[in-house]
Amino acid sequence: MSNQDAHRLYDADGSPTRDRPWILRTYAGHTTAAASNALFRENLAKGQRGLSIAFDLPTQCGYSSDHDIARPEVGKVGVPVNSLDDMHALFDGIPIDEMNTSMTINGTSMWLMALYIALARERGVDESKLRGTTQNDLIKEYLARGTYIFPPDASFRIIAEMYEYALERVPKFNPSNVCSYHLQEAGATPVQELAFALATAVGVLDLLKERGEFDEEAFERAVGRISFFVNAGIRFVEEMCKMRAFTALWDEITRERYGVTNPKYRRFRYGVQVNSLGLTEAQPENNAWRILIETLGVTLSRDARCRALQLPAWNEALSLPRPWDQQWSLRLQQILAFETDLLEYPDLFEGSKVVESKTQALIEGARAELDRILAMGGVRAAVESGALKEALVASMSDRVSRIASGEQIVVGVNQWTDGLPSPLVQGDDGGVFRVDPEATKAVLDQLARTKADRDEAAAQAALDTLRAAAREGTNMVEPSIACALARVTTGEWADALREVFGEYRPVTGIDGQQLALEDDRVIKLRARVDALATSLGHRPRIVVGKPGLDGHSNGAEMIAVAARHVGFDVVYSGIRLTPEQIVQSAVEEDVDLIGLSVLSGSHLELVQQTMDALARADATDIPVVLGGIIPAADVEALKAMGVRATFTPADFSLTDILDRIVDVVAA
Amino acid sequence: MTVGAPDPGALVERAFDGHKRSIARLISRCEDARPEAGAARDALFLTLARSSRRRHGVTVGITGTPGAGKSTLVGGLAPAMVRRASEDHRVAVVAIDPTSPISGGALLGDRTRIRFALDEPRLFFRSQASALALGGIAPTTWPVVRLLTHLFDTVLIETVGIGQSEVDVRALADHLVLITAPLAGDHVQFMKAGVMEVPDRIVLNKCDQQQAARASWSALRASVRMLRPGGDAPRLHRVSAQTGAGVDDLADALIALPRDPTTLASAALSRRAERLRRRVRDRFGTWGLDRIAAADLEAWLAADEDDGVWRRILSTVTPDDTAG
Repeated sequence: MSNQDAHRLYDADGSPTRDRPWILRTYAGHTTAAASNALFRENLAKGQRGLSIAFDLPTQCGYSSDHDIARPEVGKVGVPVNSLDDMHALFDGIPIDEMNTSMTINGTSMWLMALYIALARERGVDESKLRGTTQNDLIKEYLARGTYIFPPDASFRIIAEMYEYALERVPKFNPSNVCSYHLQEAGATPVQELAFALATAVGVLDLLKERGEFDEEAFERAVGRISFFVNAGIRFVEEMCKMRAFTALWDEITRERYGVTNPKYRRFRYGVQVNSLGLTEAQPENNAWRILIETLGVTLSRDARCRALQLPAWNEALSLPRPWDQQWSLRLQQILAFETDLLEYPDLFEGSKVVESKTQALIEGARAELDRILAMGGVRAAVESGALKEALVASMSDRVSRIASGEQIVVGVNQWTDGLPSPLVQGDDGGVFRVDPEATKAVLDQLARTKADRDEAAAQAALDTLRAAAREGTNMVEPSIACALARVTTGEWADALREVFGEYRPVTGIDGQQLALEDDRVIKLRARVDALATSLGHRPRIVVGKPGLDGHSNGAEMIAVAARHVGFDVVYSGIRLTPEQIVQSAVEEDVDLIGLSVLSGSHLELVQQTMDALARADATDIPVVLGGIIPAADVEALKAMGVRATFTPADFSLTDILDRIVDVVAA
Repeated sequence: MTVGAPDPGALVERAFDGHKRSIARLISRCEDARPEAGAARDALFLTLARSSRRRHGVTVGITGTPGAGKSTLVGGLAPAMVRRASEDHRVAVVAIDPTSPISGGALLGDRTRIRFALDEPRLFFRSQASALALGGIAPTTWPVVRLLTHLFDTVLIETVGIGQSEVDVRALADHLVLITAPLAGDHVQFMKAGVMEVPDRIVLNKCDQQQAARASWSALRASVRMLRPGGDAPRLHRVSAQTGAGVDDLADALIALPRDPTTLASAALSRRAERLRRRVRDRFGTWGLDRIAAADLEAWLAADEDDGVWRRILSTVTPDDTAG
C-alpha cells in the first residue's frame, strides 16, 4: 500500500484503476411515442447509457392531447403520453429492466411512475428491477418551471406516497429528484440554489418522518433515495465549489437533522444538465464552448463529480435541437470521459486553499439562507407566501441589469458583437428542428383507439377507486397503476385528482419588484411614456400574457417588471392562460398593447388563436407583439398574421424592447 | 373610435347589451385625463341618465389587509351573485392596485386570482392604478363607478389595502365590507379607537383553517356589538374563498341589499358631502367648516362632480385666493 502514487487511483486490491464514467445522457423525446422510440434506440446505439425522457407540455400538465389547451403543444417539447398504449410504443424493443430511465415529469409524476410499473407488469418484467427517476420536484415548478397542477399540500402528499410505495417494491427507483436546475435558470445565485434545493429536500424528508410510515431503518434508506438535479453555469470554478458545498451540506443535514448513520445513505447523488440560460442566440456557435466549460465544472473534481450528465445543444436559444445537435453534445461527453485522462486521478482539488475557502463561503451563505427558510415554516410556507419567488425575481432583475449595463460580459451579446455569419445556421432547415404537424393526427388517432378499445366500465371504476383513495387519504399509487392498466388517459387521471385537490395558482412574485436599472436611457424612456400618457389621456396600459402550457415565465416577468419600471400600467396574470383569456383581459382593461411570450415553439398556433379571439371581440385594433424563442423563418408568417414586433433572445436589452413597444403604442 | 366623439349613443347601447369592448371603452372615457374629455363625459352621463335601459347599481366597497384573500373571495363572490340572483343580475368589479411612486406605473395583478368565465356578459372586471392619490382610490374611480352603476346591478370596489382607503371608499360605496383573516384581529381594536371606519359587514375569510378561525370568530362576535353604540352592529360572515364555504350566503346577502334608487341616490349625496366636509376640516379646521355651514353641499353635488364642487368650496372658504 505504501508504494502507491498520490496521483493514481487504486482499486480494493491495490491495482491501479480508472473510474467508471458518469451516465451519459441526452434529454430527448418529441412528436410521437414511436418517433421518440426510434430516437432512443439511435441514441443507445451511439453509446448513450441511460434514457432521459422529455415529455410534451400536455403530458406534464395533466391534459390528454385532445384537450383544447393541449392541441398547439402536442409533441413539441417532448413526447406525448396519453395512455399505457403510448408507453408500450415508447419503450418498444428497449429492455426496461436494464435501463436507467430518468423522466422529467412533475405534476403527473405519480401517473408516469404508475404507467412505467404497469408496463413492466404487462411485459412480465419484475417491477423491483426497475431503475430510474421521476423528477417530481414541485417547489421549483411553483417557482420557475410552471408544470404544477395541485396545491402544495396535495403535491407533497403525492411525493410522500410514491416514496412509501417505491421503497420496498421498486427499491432502485427514485420517486423524486430535488431539482435546483430551474432555480438557476430563474436567476438564483449559487447560495440561493444551494439553500432552496436543500430546503426542498428537507421538506420531503420532514414529511416522510411526520407521516410515520417508515421505521428508522426504512427511513435511512428513504434518505438514501433522495437525489438531486443540479445546474452548472458558466462561472465554472464557483460551480465546482457549489457541488462540493452541496456534498458537505447534505452530509451535515442527513447526519445532524435525520441521524443517518450509514455514510452510503448520506452521499450527495446528483445529475446535471448544464446551463441553458446563458446560451445565446447571437453567435450561437459560441455556445458549444460554453457547454464544454460548464461541463468541466461538474466533472473535474472527483469528489464532486456528477453521476449523470446531459448537455443542452448549441442551438437551444434558436429552437428545439435536431438529432445531429444532440449527437454533437453527446460526443463532447464521450471525448471527455474516454479520450482524456480525467478519470485516472483522485480528486484534483483536495488541499487547494482557494477551493476550500470558496466552498466554505458558499456553505456558510447557504446555511444562513436555509435557516431563514426553515424559520418561515419550511419550504412550502416560503413558497406560498411568495418569499422565494420574490427573491428569485430580484436576483434575475439584478442579472438582467448587469448584462444591460455591460457590467457582466456576454461574448457576442454585449461585447464583440461583430462576427462573421455562422455557417451552422445556413442549412435548408435554418439550423432548427421542426415537429411534423401531421404527426399530431397520429397521436389523436391512437388516443381515440385506446378509448374505443378499452372496457369503459373498468376504466371508470378504476377512476372511482382513485378518487376514493385521494379523498380518504390512502395511498394512490396502486389505484393509479390500476388506472394505467385499464387504459385511463393522462387527462382523466389528472382530472380525477383535480376534482379532489383543486388546481393551484401561485403568486407571480413580481409585485413590488424593482429593476436596478437607472441610466439616461431609462430616464428618457420614462419621459416618452409620460408624454404618451398625456397624449392618450391615460397612462399606457399593456397586457403581458403567457398563453398555453409553457411555464417558463422568467422572460414575461422581466418584461412586466421593466414595463412598470418605465411607467406603464401592466396587467400580468401568470402562466397557463388560453389566448381567449388573455384577450378578455386585454378587452376589459382596454389596453394599448398585448405582449405575448412563448418559448415552447407553439407561437404560430397561439398567435393565430389570439388574433381570432381579438376579431371575435371587435378588438383587432389592439396591437400584438411577441417574444420568445422564435426562429427567424417564422417572423414573416407572424407579421402576416398581424404581429407588430417580434423579440427573440438576441433582444437582450430591456430598454430596447420597451423603446420598440412605446413605438408600437404611439404609432 | 375617438374619445372626443360627441354622440356616445351607439357605444352605450352596445354596453347595455353586455358587449365588453364597448363597456371598456366607456370606462376609458371616464378615465381620460385630457381637458377636452370632460365634455364627452358630460354627454355620456346625460345619455345614460335618460336611457330606459339604465340600471341602478348598488356599490359595495371591499377592503381588508393584503393577505386577507380579498381577490380570491371576490373571484368567487361575483359569479355566485350572478348564479344565485333570481333575475338577470350583472356584477362589475373595479380593483385598485398601487402605483409605483418611482415610475408612475402600476402592476395590475388581481386578475391572477380572479378568472371569470369567458364571454359572460353579466360579469365584468376592470383594474385601476391608484395613480399616487392618497387613500387607495384612484382619482377616476368615482366617475368609473358612477358609469358602472348605470350598466350593472352591483359594483364591487376592491381597494388597495387598509387604512386611508376605507375613508375614501366609504364615500363611494353604499355598503362597506371588511374582509379579515383568522388571527388578524387588530381591526376591531382600531375601529373602537375610531382609527378605522366601521364597516356594514365583516367577513372572516380562510375559515378552512379551523382552529384559528374558531378563536377569531368568537373574538369578533364578542367585540362587534360595542362598535356602534345604539346603531346596528356590523353583520358577520364566515367564509372560505378556497373551498367556497359561506360564499353563497354572502352573495345572497349582497343581492338582498336595499336597492331603491331614490334612497340610494340621497344616501350617496350625503356621503359625498360628508367626505368633502372632512376634506375642509382637514385643511382649514373648524374655521373652514363654519365658512361653508350655510352651503347646501348636497344640492351642489347633485349638479356637479366632486372636483367642481371642491373648487366651489375653496372659493367660498378663501374667496381671495386663486383656488386650485
